[in-house]
Amino acid sequence: MDQLFDVSLFNSTLRMVAPILLAALGGAICARAGVFNVALEGWMLTAAFAAIVGNHFFHNVWLAVLFAVACVTVLALMFAVLTVHLNANVIVVGLAFNFLATGLTAYGLFAVFGVKGSFYDRNMVGLPRWNIPLLKDIPFVGDVLSGHSPLVYLAFGLAFALQFYLFRTVWGFRLLAAGEHPAAAASVGLRVNRIRIGAILLSGMLCGLAGAQLSLGQVTLFTENMTAGRGFIALVASMLGQNNPLGVMLASLLFGLTDAFGIRLQGFSLPAQFTMMVPYVMTLAAMFFFKDRAYLRQSGRIGDR
Amino acid sequence: MRPAGSDPRGWRKRFLPEALRKRFRLKTSRPERLRLAGTLRGLLHPLAAVLLGLIAGAIAILAVGGSVVETYVEMWKGAFGSFYYVTTTLARATPIMLVGLGVALAFRAGFFNLGAEGQMLLGALCAAIAGLYLPGPPEWRTIAALVAGVAAGAAWSLLAGWLDLKFRLNLLITTLLLNYIAGLFCSYVVAFPLKDTSGSSGMAQTEMLEKAVWLPKLFPGMILHAGFVFAVVLTLLLFLFLRHTVKGYELRMLGSNPLFAVYGGVRRGALLAIAMLASGGFAGLAGAAEVLGTQYRYIDNALTSPGYAWSGIMAALLAGSHPLGTAAAAILLAALQTGGLGVERNTDVPLEIASVIQATLILFVSARFTLALIRRRKARAADGPVV
Repeated sequence: MDQLFDVSLFNSTLRMVAPILLAALGGAICARAGVFNVALEGWMLTAAFAAIVGNHFFHNVWLAVLFAVACVTVLALMFAVLTVHLNANVIVVGLAFNFLATGLTAYGLFAVFGVKGSFYDRNMVGLPRWNIPLLKDIPFVGDVLSGHSPLVYLAFGLAFALQFYLFRTVWGFRLLAAGEHPAAAASVGLRVNRIRIGAILLSGMLCGLAGAQLSLGQVTLFTENMTAGRGFIALVASMLGQNNPLGVMLASLLFGLTDAFGIRLQGFSLPAQFTMMVPYVMTLAAMFFFKDRAYLRQSGRIGDR
Repeated sequence: MRPAGSDPRGWRKRFLPEALRKRFRLKTSRPERLRLAGTLRGLLHPLAAVLLGLIAGAIAILAVGGSVVETYVEMWKGAFGSFYYVTTTLARATPIMLVGLGVALAFRAGFFNLGAEGQMLLGALCAAIAGLYLPGPPEWRTIAALVAGVAAGAAWSLLAGWLDLKFRLNLLITTLLLNYIAGLFCSYVVAFPLKDTSGSSGMAQTEMLEKAVWLPKLFPGMILHAGFVFAVVLTLLLFLFLRHTVKGYELRMLGSNPLFAVYGGVRRGALLAIAMLASGGFAGLAGAAEVLGTQYRYIDNALTSPGYAWSGIMAALLAGSHPLGTAAAAILLAALQTGGLGVERNTDVPLEIASVIQATLILFVSARFTLALIRRRKARAADGPVV
């Protein structure tokens, strides 16, 4: 057991959880505003690629992160126009963005770097590691919590900030109202469409950060399809957390832990396939406990309120 | 369905297909001329989408410094340049068509079944196992393998449907998760218990099927196999089913307006089971036909890396889930992919140019959905104020 649970397991959990958490927060904000966003996966992939491109051309990791966020924000704007203004089916558009991301990043990889499969440049500098003063000197806690990239800390900070925003501020309540009952919200003068577009843009920015952490956080490289379903896991994490930012944070931690745990179990000569299956099976199991009311309403099984 | 008689709001007249209108003795309206115009308008959008995709592709080609004309000529040659390439394209289209048809059926009924990949993989694996280990004469084993493939795909798909019905889990997410589980499971089976140890390749794959069990080729020396015939026949059958049967009508109605359909007495549960069984069966058949007709064994990643399942879903989306359109879109996507291979062989442009064109197509098509909705919104505004 000592070999299974040690400092580096929890440390790698925090690192792996950051992209999922950032994207899941984006999904949660969208869901709260009444938009079921399945494009998280594609946005994250685009951001991961854009971050590497930015880093390559600007030679500055912060500009790279900004570039990634900007690229995804443009995509999110397109998504918003299609779904909110033009009333296209959210799921179809979301899937289309996922296809677009796979195609464009694979092609872009060749167009920009002239390589296929993956790009790695040893001169490229990734996100810095922050050692938190004082905290890093506490024996166990310091090893787990210190020495992560700033985006990891930002992810957890944002979970608390969004919780406050949604449930303690007027703007948060307006967003909740727009998702809960659009007609009622519109009747008291809220601009539901604007609120939704705002939520989608915010979600895009969060996915941009998620992708940047993925490609610049631990390793500094991009591989084709490197998100590998993390966007969908994030979607489930936001459902599992009932779209409460703090709940989403706990759900994401759970997924990160199983992910890190799966890698660890491979050392015990269990077939890799089964350890890789763990997060998916757990997600499925978790869905039994948390029902998706929006889904039931939309498929006509419970009435509109 | 309630018996014929009153139709105070004219709903039946507006929404019922011809077969049922006759049953209710309503006048069949809509002159032929109008229908022809509708078909033409239906064709205009896909053509515009293809054109836009090609323009986007041209921009992408210019971005890597290639020649647009030369690239597209090579793409055409790679896809349809000779009889051999045509059959290769159709062989590639076979699994995409089969998956696409199944997905189109589910989408039509409003069920977002994204689990085609897992269903196809399990179908392929079970077909390989049945073909390898069942006793009996070879022809019988071919049929048994196809049936096993269909059954496996259908069962895996029904599992997601059952979870939705019984436990109200979101179908879109469960089917997606079941993909990963099925894929990893199949990969485990061919990497450990059923791994082919006779060869020296060390690849994760099953043993090879006997030659007598293979699906027959349509032309000597070409890779096109009997699976394509299944795909064509099933396309027509599905078209007739959706258009001319009561169950098909109920499926379409459930997809376009679930509340109205349930109000009209459509049983969602039964239709969900039918739609999931059928779409999973189609995906399973795609996998089985690929194993029996092209690969002759289950090879890990041989079905996932060409992205057959996702291409099938794309085909269904491109065609707005119309069966004939889905088949055509599947051939178009396959042609782009084989054409992309030709481009990569003969020019400096990478084959991913195909996925750029595909992605643009699909994005533009979602805008087509949009146009239909704008029209509907305008119509509603004409009826009077709505919330």
